[in-house]
Amino acid sequence: MQDTVLIVGSGPAGLSAAAQVTGAGRRAVLVEKEDTLGGAPILSGYAKLVPSGEWARDAIGRMVQRVEEDPGVSVHKGTRVTRLDGEAGDFTAELDNGQKVQAGAVVLATGFTHFDPVNKPEWGFGTFPDVITTTQMEQMVANGRITCPSDGRTPERVAILLCVGSRDRQIGREWCSKICCTVSTNLAMEIKELSPETEVFIYYMDIRTFGLYEDRFYWTSQEEFQTRFVKARIAEVTASGDGRLLLKGEDTLVKRPIVIPFDLVVHAVGMDPNQDNPEISRVFGVDLEKHGYLQRAEHYTNPCGTSRPGIYACGAAYGPETIDDSISQGAAAGCRAAADLQPHGRKAG
Amino acid sequence: MATYAEMQQIYDDIRGDFRYHHELNGCLNCGICTATCPSAQFYDYSPREIVQLLWTGNVEQIYDAMQEKIWACAQCMTCAARCPFQNSPGGLVAIMREVAIQHEMQSAKDVLRPFGRVMLKLITTGNQLSPDMIQPDHFPDWGPNIQKVEGDLRTLRKAIPMKTLQTTDTAWEVSLKTSVEMYTIWEMTGVLKSLELMDENLFDVIEDFIDEKREEYDEWLEEQEED
Repeated sequence: MQDTVLIVGSGPAGLSAAAQVTGAGRRAVLVEKEDTLGGAPILSGYAKLVPSGEWARDAIGRMVQRVEEDPGVSVHKGTRVTRLDGEAGDFTAELDNGQKVQAGAVVLATGFTHFDPVNKPEWGFGTFPDVITTTQMEQMVANGRITCPSDGRTPERVAILLCVGSRDRQIGREWCSKICCTVSTNLAMEIKELSPETEVFIYYMDIRTFGLYEDRFYWTSQEEFQTRFVKARIAEVTASGDGRLLLKGEDTLVKRPIVIPFDLVVHAVGMDPNQDNPEISRVFGVDLEKHGYLQRAEHYTNPCGTSRPGIYACGAAYGPETIDDSISQGAAAGCRAAADLQPHGRKAG
Repeated sequence: MATYAEMQQIYDDIRGDFRYHHELNGCLNCGICTATCPSAQFYDYSPREIVQLLWTGNVEQIYDAMQEKIWACAQCMTCAARCPFQNSPGGLVAIMREVAIQHEMQSAKDVLRPFGRVMLKLITTGNQLSPDMIQPDHFPDWGPNIQKVEGDLRTLRKAIPMKTLQTTDTAWEVSLKTSVEMYTIWEMTGVLKSLELMDENLFDVIEDFIDEKREEYDEWLEEQEED
C-alpha cells in the first residue's frame, strides 16, 4: 500500500486536489505537462474571474503558491505520464523525464481544450484579424486596452457571438459549454469599463447565465452597462470595403435578414474535450464518454470515479465545468483518492 | 379555401413523409437559416418561419405558407449546411412541395405551369436546354459573355472533344436506351404521376411520346437478336 496520490494536471481542479491530499496528511505528486502551474486561467491569461471578480493571476496564483510552498507536494513541470501499471492501492507511473512514481491512487485533473474557431470558417476567425476569441479578449482586458488588432483603433462596435464550438451538430459539438454566456456578459462589462464609448452586442440562441449569475451578470450587463442582447445566430462574417466586418444575421423580431457592421467580432469559444484525451485514455486505461470527455464511474455513489478502480477525476476532464465547481470537485477527488491509501499510523509492508 | 380537416390532412401527409424526422430535429429560433438564405433577401420567405410552423403544428399557417412562400425557396440547401440542430428547412420545403402536388393545390399548378415546356424538352431530348436555344435577349444575366457563344454554333460545338457534346439541338446526345431507362425511373419515382396531377394535357402528350420511344427501343432490341 502506498501513501501517495498522483495528480495529473495543475489547473484549479488539480491544485485543489493536491492541497486536499496533503491536508489529509498524505503526500501528493503533481505532474503538469506545461512549464507553468495554474492551468487554463493562467496559461490563457484570463482577466477577472466569474463570479468573484478577482484577477485570475491573483486568485489562481494563490492556489499555485499554496501548492508550491507545500512540502507534501512534489511537482514535475513540463512532464507527462507515459505508462501506468498496477492496481488500486499500488500503482507505478512512469514519467517522460525518466522518473517513476509509486502511488496508491491517481487523480486526473486534465481539463479541456479551447475550441479552435478555424473549424467554423464562415465566422471569419483566421481570415480577418479583427475576429478574435474570448481568450484573446480576456488577454486584452488583462492588458487594460481594447483595440482592433488590424490597425490598433478603438472599436466603436463589438459583437460577441455565443455558442462558437458549442451546441452545434454540424461540427459534432453536441454540448453546452456552460460558462461562455456568463463569461461573455462579464467581458461585455469589462470592455465597457475600459472603453465606455464602445457599444457591445451579444448574439445568442439562449442565455444560460444559470443560478446566481442571472442578476449579477445578465441583468447588470444590460441595466448598468447597456449591453445589447440580440436573439440571432450569425450566419457569416465578411469584410466591407471600409475595413469593417459585416455580420449576416436575422432580426428575429421583424423576421428579416439583416447585415450589420462591426469593428471587432469576438467568438465565445466553447470547451472541447482535452485534445490529449485519447492518449490519456490509453495511458491510464480509462474510458471516454461519447463526446470524448472522461467517463464518470457512477453518478450517485462514485461521482469522482472513472472506469478504472483507483483512478479518479475532477473538473473539466468530465465535461465543461466552471472554475468554482472544478475546485470543489478537485477537493472531493483528492479526498476520495486519499481514502484509498493505507490507514494512518501504519507503514506499508 | 380548404376546410380544417383538409389542412390537417395536408399537415399529416407532410409529417408522415419518411424523410420528415430526419429533416426536423428541433428549433431554437436562432435565425441562422434565414440569415444565410438567398431567397429571404428578395422574397417574403423565411426558412425559420417554415420550420417553426411545422414544429408547432400550425396547420392553418402551414397551408397558407404552401400558397406562395414555399415556392420562393431555391433549394440551395445552405440552411441545412448552417443549422446547428442539423435541420434541413430546404428539405422540409421539398416535402411540402410534393404534398402540394399530391393534393393538386392550385399554387403548385400555377408555379409549375411555366416549367411544362422544360419538362417536354427534357423528356423528348433528355436535356432541359439546348445550345440553339441561347439567344442574347433571353440571358441578360450572362452580360457581355454571351458574345462568346454567338458565333458559328456548329463549329464551336465541334471544338468540344467529347463526341456526345458535338450537338446543337440538344445539350448532349442521349441514347435511346438511356432515355427508356429514364422513363422507367420517372415512372417508378412518381414524377409522371405528379405530372398527371398538375397538367393532364401535357401528361397525355408525354405519355404518347414515351410509348412511341419504348416501341422503337423494343424493335431495336429485336433487330439485335435477329443479327
